[in-house]
Amino acid sequence: MISKLSDFLKKIIILLILIIPNIVNADFFEDMSSKIVDNPKRLSYGISVSDIDQNGKYEFIVTGFGYPNLALSYNNGKLINVASQKIFSDEFRKTIGVAACDVDRDGYEEIYFLNTDTYSGTKKYSDRLIDLEGNKFLDIFEIEKNKEELNLTAGRSVACVDRKGNGEYGLYVSNYGGPTRFYEIEGKKIKDKSANLNLDKVTGGRAVVSGHILTDRSDIFAANERGANFLLKNNNGLFEDVAFDYRVDDVIQNGRGTTLSDILYRGRLDIISGNWQGYHRAYVLKDNQFKDIGNIKFDKPSRIRTIISADFDNDGYDEVFMNNIAEPNKLFRIKENGIFEEIKLKTGLEPDGFGTGAAVADIDEDGILELLVSRGESKEQTLTLYKAKVKKNSKYLRIKPLNKYGAPARGATVTLITDQRKHSKTIDSGSGYLCQMEPVAHYGIRKNEKNFKLEVKWTNGEKELINISELNKTITIKQK
Amino acid sequence: MRKISNVLVFIIIILFHYNSSADEKNYHKELITDWSKIFPDQNRNAAGPKFFKYIIDKKITYKDFIEFNKLYCAVSGSLIDPDSEPDFLFVNESETNMKVCGNYYKCCIPCSCDIMKYSQVQKMKYEFEDGIKEFYVFTIKNPCNKNDFPNRVNKDYFCDGKKINDKQVYNLNDKIVIGLLHDGKSCSKDEINYVKTHQVTGRYCELRNNTPLENLDAGMGDIFIKLAR
Repeated sequence: MISKLSDFLKKIIILLILIIPNIVNADFFEDMSSKIVDNPKRLSYGISVSDIDQNGKYEFIVTGFGYPNLALSYNNGKLINVASQKIFSDEFRKTIGVAACDVDRDGYEEIYFLNTDTYSGTKKYSDRLIDLEGNKFLDIFEIEKNKEELNLTAGRSVACVDRKGNGEYGLYVSNYGGPTRFYEIEGKKIKDKSANLNLDKVTGGRAVVSGHILTDRSDIFAANERGANFLLKNNNGLFEDVAFDYRVDDVIQNGRGTTLSDILYRGRLDIISGNWQGYHRAYVLKDNQFKDIGNIKFDKPSRIRTIISADFDNDGYDEVFMNNIAEPNKLFRIKENGIFEEIKLKTGLEPDGFGTGAAVADIDEDGILELLVSRGESKEQTLTLYKAKVKKNSKYLRIKPLNKYGAPARGATVTLITDQRKHSKTIDSGSGYLCQMEPVAHYGIRKNEKNFKLEVKWTNGEKELINISELNKTITIKQK
Repeated sequence: MRKISNVLVFIIIILFHYNSSADEKNYHKELITDWSKIFPDQNRNAAGPKFFKYIIDKKITYKDFIEFNKLYCAVSGSLIDPDSEPDFLFVNESETNMKVCGNYYKCCIPCSCDIMKYSQVQKMKYEFEDGIKEFYVFTIKNPCNKNDFPNRVNKDYFCDGKKINDKQVYNLNDKIVIGLLHDGKSCSKDEINYVKTHQVTGRYCELRNNTPLENLDAGMGDIFIKLAR
């Protein structure tokens, strides 16, 4: 009788070991929203992460639609708005998209605010390109010689593209119902080069990312609505749309949040692209075509907005955060072989949240990413801030590549090489939907992982290999 | 006791792990993914035959074939939502003129009327990965000689000069296969009566099929009819 009972108990223990992972979903995120000082209900949209005041620390730049644009800086345990100059806060222009990069090669990032006062076609107020001169912000578009190049078409997202690989960033402006724009500074004057570069296509532009997708230069993937996506292959600074050939045109779906992610931990960037109430894609390049390897839970249609791929919990595996509007958010862990495992959210689920954008940064510099979610669109809501609950002894490594001008090398690729993985991350040029992440490759460290090396592939395709002797730090690497 | 506990443990494990391991084939997603391959010029007007050809050219099982063929409208060329319900209807068989009953997956109800009036069915045999199967398909006559070939339809999809374009559409005895009649079989009297008295396949279709062509504005309008009549 005793042996029968012990047999039965053994089986129950085995059973519990097997089923516990399925029934116990420890809360992944902690709600840190109370750290945001003065967090009224408002219509917020895209978020970028950049150092707006050139003090060496990043701020979350949060756009406002009829509300002020904010720059949330981390001070004394709180996130507080430090932008008060009117040209920056600019609450009358209705900003939705934002991206930052060093357009004028002074080593500091300018901020592109994409304003949209109409859904599609011609808009009233143009975009702004904000530069800091001394202590004063100015709008480069307001300089007389630049006024002929204003973007007066409704748009959505912006991404920074170093198309020539020399640190001279251009801005891809994803317009809606009018031609795409591509701005660069040439001879101290801003110029729209979209026509020369074969980029001035008219579509329902939604999201855009840039990085080493196909070539050793900055390629572009643009997720569009009511038309095919673009996959723009960089041929010595000129672009060729190869979306159809690479099978990412997804012509009858409506593109939204998009990000670059090393889905197979194989040392290359692939594409995750959400579709509005359509199948979400996890595109992995194989034999010169992208295959969608998203499983039935991952690809399930939803009211998707931003998508972020990042290691929130420092376990060495990236998570994919799906920000849905007026529908619960979702989170997946990308396991080996491209398996997407859903992590059931409790905190951060936001079933009634009108999510419009989100971005990650280690804003408090503790080695764990913060996730800031902006909300709004049709209902004023507060911002929300989350941080993953990480294991006590978790380790991390943060890589911050700077280009030859000393500016964040957006579009460069960092690859962590260890005995367990070859894991690439892009230095974000613009991603999600309307957003841009911090210009840092953030890695959590896996259990028993060793032999750490890093490879940085700069925007000109040149590679640099670095040995890592110490973890739990941010390493700045300057392009030679 | 031991047997019961073994069975209990086994059942619970299966139940708890079923959800995480199940990953069914998503036919709808596959058609969406390949839509631009099927319609390179993005014109899918009346292009059900393009879907049929694309599907049958795949290396698939009979089950896959059936499932794929539930997801497009043979008349309009539109994709259909995965959970759509078919209409039960009949169509004349081309050789015998007998009524063949079965299920038709449509994008909207006028298409059920158009397929009943302007198409015929034929038996077709085909070898799939899991063996040879026989089924009924909807066909239309070779439209390539028409002077009034509808200009909103891509003629190159259907025709190679005056011949059916075998590379683009499936040619069955010099007729174009436009789609699959699901669960096709000879109709019983009751089934014919059911179809004739049904509010869609009976009353609505009678109204539609007696409306002059120039007054048709529902469904594909007159595009499919001009192609198929």
